[in-house]
Amino acid sequence: MPETNREIQELLVDYAGALRDGCIPTFLKSLTREEAQSIASSREFWDATEVARILNSVGFADNAVTPNVSLFISRVNAEIASRLKKAKASSRRGKRATGARPLAKRED
Amino acid sequence: MPFIDRAQASLHSCFSTTRFGYGTNAEERDAMNRRLRNALKGLTAPDVERRRRAMEPFVRATFGIFIRYLYRYLGNEVECEDVLEDVYADIWEKADRLRNITTERELLRTVYLYYMRKRLRQVYRRINRNLCLSQRDMKNLVAPELGILEMMSQTELRQALRQMLNRLKARERRAIELWMEGVSIRAIAIELKTTVGAVKMLKFRTMLKLKKMLRDYCYEY
Repeated sequence: MPETNREIQELLVDYAGALRDGCIPTFLKSLTREEAQSIASSREFWDATEVARILNSVGFADNAVTPNVSLFISRVNAEIASRLKKAKASSRRGKRATGARPLAKRED
Repeated sequence: MPFIDRAQASLHSCFSTTRFGYGTNAEERDAMNRRLRNALKGLTAPDVERRRRAMEPFVRATFGIFIRYLYRYLGNEVECEDVLEDVYADIWEKADRLRNITTERELLRTVYLYYMRKRLRQVYRRINRNLCLSQRDMKNLVAPELGILEMMSQTELRQALRQMLNRLKARERRAIELWMEGVSIRAIAIELKTTVGAVKMLKFRTMLKLKKMLRDYCYEY
């Protein structure tokens, strides 16, 4: 159960904790309307989030680097192939819509 | 306490430049730059097949840089990889923005502004409908504008942070070091012999202090 009406320093610590643990959605969902308003109006909160991101990057970003990039490359290739396929399919559909069908009908 | 020793050892390894992944000597860095330059040339070619062939060396040369950068905002390896997959496919589809890029910093800036930011904003778009946070604050939290600190490279950040931490008071430094080791707020409070609320306040104030110090450092260099 989330705490209600957290102070700005508590919100910052919770944001930094969520960032460190990789669960930002949990933090976002825990925000009440009042807390969201105090975040919006607090310049200090935004300044501190920048540092939280930097600490996260320096302290933990190496965890995200997988030793085997080949597997990731195959994922990228698959995504590219799927986009190519979609592009081809849509251009074929476009051609059909612009002229191929009426021509076939006339032959009939 | 044993976890303090672990924290210091881990922090030491965090700040050592050899973990950065580029290698330390200039020759090695130049070699990577050449590879990246060639890949970029291929990516901006009009021929689809050539662009596709250039993708692999480009991903190999930039994966470490991009995923570390994304981790800053997401803090989650799985989400980082998903976003990066889309970013690379977007780059393959439309690489015009990368045409006249000469440095890694420029590359990272361009990729963030024109490819990553759009994808980062989409990550939490689905849950945003049920949130109290406004659309604008959500954007600023997940994919902010590029500030002076955001554009520092990983190596520069490590160096700057090491210097700044040495200038903090012992208690402030200890709180941040333990946090970066992954220790919980409650455990930090026990270690510093204080309350959870006091640690939260200490951390908040220290982060604001760090922000000011880092900003001054950026303007100085």
